[in-house]
Amino acid sequence: MAAVQETIDHVRKIDVDQYKYGFETVIDSIRAPKGLDESTVRYISAKKGEPEWLLNWRLEAFTRWKAMTEPTWAKVNYPKIDFQDLYYYSAPKSTEGPKSLAEVDPELLETYNKLGIPLKEQEVLAGVTSSRVAVDAVFDSVSVVTTFKDELKKAGVIFCSISEAVREHPELVRKYLGSVVPQSDNFYASLNSAVFSDGSFVYVPEGVRCPMELSTYFRINAKQTGQFERTLIIADRGAYVSYLEGCTAPMRDENQLHAAVVELVALDDAEIKYSTVQNWYPGDAQGKGGIYNFVTKRGDCRGHHSKISWTQVETGSAITWKYPSCILRGDYSRGEFYSIAVSNGYQQVDSGTKMIHLGKNSSSRIISKGIAAGYSQNTYRGLVSAHRKATGVRNFTNCDSLLIGDKCGAHTVPYIEAKNSSAHFEHEATTSKISDDMLFYCRQRGLSSEEAVALVVNGFVRDVLQQLPMEFMAESQKLIGISLEGSVG
Amino acid sequence: MNVAVMKTKAEQAISESFEAAAAKLPGSAAVKERRAQAIGTFGGLGLPHRRIEEWKYTDLRANLKEVLPAAVEDKTPLTIGELIVALGPLAHVDAHRIVFVNGHHRADLSDIADAQGLAISTVGKALQSASEEAVANLASTPAGGDAVEALNTAFMTDGAIVDVAKGASVAKPLLIVFVRAGSEANAVTVRNLITVGEGASATIVEASVVLPGAVRDAHFNALAEVSVGKGATLNHVLSAVDEGKSLHLSNCEVTLAADATYRGFQFSSSLGFARHGANILFDGEGGKLDLSGAYLARHSEHVDNTLVVDHAVPRCESRELFKGVLDGHGRGVFQGKVIVRPDAQKTDGKQMSQALMLSEDAEFDSKPELEIYADDVVCGHGTTSAELDSDLLFYCRSRGIPEKEARALMIESFIGEALDKVEHEGLREALASYAMQWLGRSPRG
Repeated sequence: MAAVQETIDHVRKIDVDQYKYGFETVIDSIRAPKGLDESTVRYISAKKGEPEWLLNWRLEAFTRWKAMTEPTWAKVNYPKIDFQDLYYYSAPKSTEGPKSLAEVDPELLETYNKLGIPLKEQEVLAGVTSSRVAVDAVFDSVSVVTTFKDELKKAGVIFCSISEAVREHPELVRKYLGSVVPQSDNFYASLNSAVFSDGSFVYVPEGVRCPMELSTYFRINAKQTGQFERTLIIADRGAYVSYLEGCTAPMRDENQLHAAVVELVALDDAEIKYSTVQNWYPGDAQGKGGIYNFVTKRGDCRGHHSKISWTQVETGSAITWKYPSCILRGDYSRGEFYSIAVSNGYQQVDSGTKMIHLGKNSSSRIISKGIAAGYSQNTYRGLVSAHRKATGVRNFTNCDSLLIGDKCGAHTVPYIEAKNSSAHFEHEATTSKISDDMLFYCRQRGLSSEEAVALVVNGFVRDVLQQLPMEFMAESQKLIGISLEGSVG
Repeated sequence: MNVAVMKTKAEQAISESFEAAAAKLPGSAAVKERRAQAIGTFGGLGLPHRRIEEWKYTDLRANLKEVLPAAVEDKTPLTIGELIVALGPLAHVDAHRIVFVNGHHRADLSDIADAQGLAISTVGKALQSASEEAVANLASTPAGGDAVEALNTAFMTDGAIVDVAKGASVAKPLLIVFVRAGSEANAVTVRNLITVGEGASATIVEASVVLPGAVRDAHFNALAEVSVGKGATLNHVLSAVDEGKSLHLSNCEVTLAADATYRGFQFSSSLGFARHGANILFDGEGGKLDLSGAYLARHSEHVDNTLVVDHAVPRCESRELFKGVLDGHGRGVFQGKVIVRPDAQKTDGKQMSQALMLSEDAEFDSKPELEIYADDVVCGHGTTSAELDSDLLFYCRSRGIPEKEARALMIESFIGEALDKVEHEGLREALASYAMQWLGRSPRG
């Protein structure tokens, strides 16, 4: 079946060389000297005015990082990264401590406007959408602005940049920072622990249902800069929070490193819903440039009956190496992972999840949909394990892959480890192209070829899209609908 | 960072054991040279351990503590009567038979006189013959650098060479029997070569059995190289039944020509520490693979089934079904990798691995893996792990079936699904009897 011109045009719009967030903002910035040694760590810490314990914490991480080697087990290929050829800190000059939105550099506001991120509260209030989202905007290494702080404060929710949290709520940061992803966790997490520059901090107190969606928007702007942000979300007993994360970067022909750490802690009866729409620059049509996305995301269901749910839509990054995981420590805790990973061009995705069942009767569900097109490689890698004493645990895993074109690859590498008999684990995976029968059936009913493909593909990914918050769902659905439509040819 | 590789005691002992045995191992000078090369390869690789992805769940280095002397010669007396006892249910199968005791051929116990369509000889003889062909066929270390296969090349003493003539349809199965007898604990290493000619069909069984009362500590390393010709069909059953103490390492390298069919079945019961590897390569279009297995483990037994199915060419079909029953501290491992190479369009691959856990301390680790580079394919895998369904158990009991009986019935039906894949009725029944012996039930009928 040949794609019609209209469809081909649609695909062009979202193909790797049509990246629409690729502009660069010209803005004065302050950078740390190039390279990485102990003085870089001290520089960042001093720049942020951090207390001594945090500096020591960073230094310890740095010491451990030096002893580690880069992981090579993932099914991705890239030239070796020169960690001395990077800037580890870059901050827009004018944003050192803006008190209000009025003090923020207009260039910056314009950038976020272009990206469609509402930072002005009035605008959001007057906006067409009825629901409101509080945004923390992170530009290169620093948080620029956080909206709706006052309203959140009324509810008792703390939502601010992590640097601010270190100043204002040191007891909380000290208690939880590194408690889910320790300094020595893995190569990139250790690097992050040593040089993290900013990120978001959320604390939802006991019994509070966060009154609005929280969101962080990450933007890499400066050249040769790595972005190392750290997000820490704590939902105290019975609390609920839904958090969205978005990210973009300018188009450059160099590869940029993004090594973030996200830690979630859910205490008794708490629930955290974490959604990501990852749209980093994927490189051009020849596979040049793009972001290396090496991220450690982990949630700890520390309390009984707690729940953590990860939802991700991955369309960007040259290389993705990311496994949002759940440690199901509490009895009856629940972990969920919903993922759609679309790869095109020369993108390489090695992503998946880990569900580590330690608590009795804990349950988890994994739905992963991988769609590979062009010359891309798309791997699902996941672990489901039940501890010997975790009786009555349940897992259901479903990972499907769809291949579009004969130059791409889709791989599934699940690990299932049941260490006690009452664990019920089910895993299924399929790989296929869109079946001719299904298409024939749809066409027979009067649908055009494209409509039929869009219908089948939307059906394929619907399980995941349904998990996204409303605001993101419509956009993601459009994105995926278009990206697949013309590709079957 | 370079770290000097420390050899474990066992690795050191294996090298020493080779030096001690080298002079007595059969083969011409050329073979001896190949053996020395193979032990060199092993020396470089060392025993596989959990840091090697393919051996993640089966740490041979940690589990192989004591190295047993190689079984370079054998004088154990064994009568036909004893052989029949050792064979158990398999003795009732009407079949041709070639027998090896402690890794050495015994013509007096074999029965291959009227095996029409089959040309059968032994590896021991071929190694001695010094023909270039024999050296090339036998003493080559298979590619891939597998340490266990390298050890097989270094130490192999005997085995069967079976050629199924072109177009022949061999009705009776051929049993290749490896018996462990006597009181000396040693390491037996055997190699089998099976070639099925164009359009032929045959059923070949490799059975590893133990004479009651024989030494329980033993090491067994078997490698089968199988080539199925164009349009040919091979039913290949590997059965290993032991007493819970032995170390079993087996590998099967299968190549399928165009339109060939390979139906493999791997049965194992009460092996102390076992690893069965199977590498299947589709070398011609239209090939069909149906690979299944059943394994039973209790106490602290460990059974690993690792498969690699390589769809290198278009239009091939593969099916895998593995079922395991784990009791006590038994541990089951399943690793199944299906590779679909670029341009291997119209591939149809399905894989299923299931474990039934009978005790709280049982463990099941599964890693079904898909690696797909072609788009017009249908591939799927599934894996499940669970205990006996309490509703079903309740149903049986409410119908007056005692609990023990009900449990056994359910286990039997679980395993039965896999056993049904064995086409030959007599063989299927023999394997079912082994399974029932394991369950502590008397065979049916």
